[in-house]
Amino acid sequence: MTLRRYAWPILIGALAALGIMLALADIAVGDRWPNPMAQVIIGAKPHARLPATQTLRFDRTRVGDRLIFESPISGFGPLNPYEAIRAFLANGAGLTLLALAGLIAFPRRARSAVERFESVPGAAISFGAGLVLVLLTLGVVTLLRFTLLFLAVVPLVVAVALVAALFGVGCIALAIGRLIHERLHLPDVHPLIAALVGALVVFDLAVIPYVGIVAFAAIAMAGLGLTVITRFGSAGGWSFVDLDW
Amino acid sequence: MSKALACARVRVLMEPFVDGDLEPDIAADVREHLATCAECRRQHEQAISLPFRLKALPNPAPRESFVHEVMGAIAPARAMDRKAWTLLAPEAVLAAFILWYLSGIDGLGSIASGIFNDLQGLAGGSVPSLPPVDVVLLIALIALTAIAGYHLSVLIRIAPGGLQARRHA
Repeated sequence: MTLRRYAWPILIGALAALGIMLALADIAVGDRWPNPMAQVIIGAKPHARLPATQTLRFDRTRVGDRLIFESPISGFGPLNPYEAIRAFLANGAGLTLLALAGLIAFPRRARSAVERFESVPGAAISFGAGLVLVLLTLGVVTLLRFTLLFLAVVPLVVAVALVAALFGVGCIALAIGRLIHERLHLPDVHPLIAALVGALVVFDLAVIPYVGIVAFAAIAMAGLGLTVITRFGSAGGWSFVDLDW
Repeated sequence: MSKALACARVRVLMEPFVDGDLEPDIAADVREHLATCAECRRQHEQAISLPFRLKALPNPAPRESFVHEVMGAIAPARAMDRKAWTLLAPEAVLAAFILWYLSGIDGLGSIASGIFNDLQGLAGGSVPSLPPVDVVLLIALIALTAIAGYHLSVLIRIAPGGLQARRHA
């Protein structure tokens, strides 16, 4: 009974620990071929050892330099748990805060989008729409490249796509949290806690070596598609009836 | 009024009484009788139950075109489901052609950096010179954009519970 009471904090702690371990593995694999493409998610590889006298603006303690261990598996790079924690705190917190911000700012729209995602073909349709939107955005941006007047619109197109994808990822995080709540029979909790768990699952998927970038791209595309097919979670959704009179 | 006569009359009046169609004084008589007669009260309770009321409703005959309309409504949805996936083929072909034409990811990267440099130039007040472009590439880009836009409209119109739900059914 006590364990069930602390199920959510335990789950959050386990997901955070898993995220740090996976980030550690990503850093250890480094830029070996085939490249795990970890730099996209966890940032550039850790800076080389610099003279101890040199001060770094954002890293005054230089603890990371003192916490580097040799890998027990030959052929892999050194283990740097401090960098893994940094990657988790920077990227994981960034992703989670952005996801929760979307839910807090537009709760009704988020609910509408999550309900659509949870319907039977919701995930497949969202992913399909996201894939099509990526092609559409690439086509439009490349076309605009060859114009003078509309060149300035390109950043706007990219920014709208980015915001849409972030809102969609937040909704997917909430859907994942609700799914975990239901499947694991966890006690009722505030929806933002469920969304936090979902966002941590998304981060953990994103830092799996080699497949993480593909998993994150798939989730981001599904998020983009979900946002567009629900018109940013509008209750009415898209309708072309008004164009047909 | 005698009880036997009253019961027969009350049962005749039961339906309009339940519907609230009786005159107030007659309704008051019926109410008074129900307070004293257990058998009529049982009939009244049955009459006001929802299933009984629903059964009492007449079944309207469907329009002759009803079956045709239902089948017609289902058919386009199935065609739309098929279209939702088959449109990926021309998009993939066009995307592959464009990627090949632009020399792969490097070409896309050079387009992105070109946009960035031109925007910087615009911000600095200088009008950028546009890169020469082949009509074949433009046609391919327009075709990809048009097909993707149409594909998106198809995906948007697929109602929840439409695709896999029907497959499971």
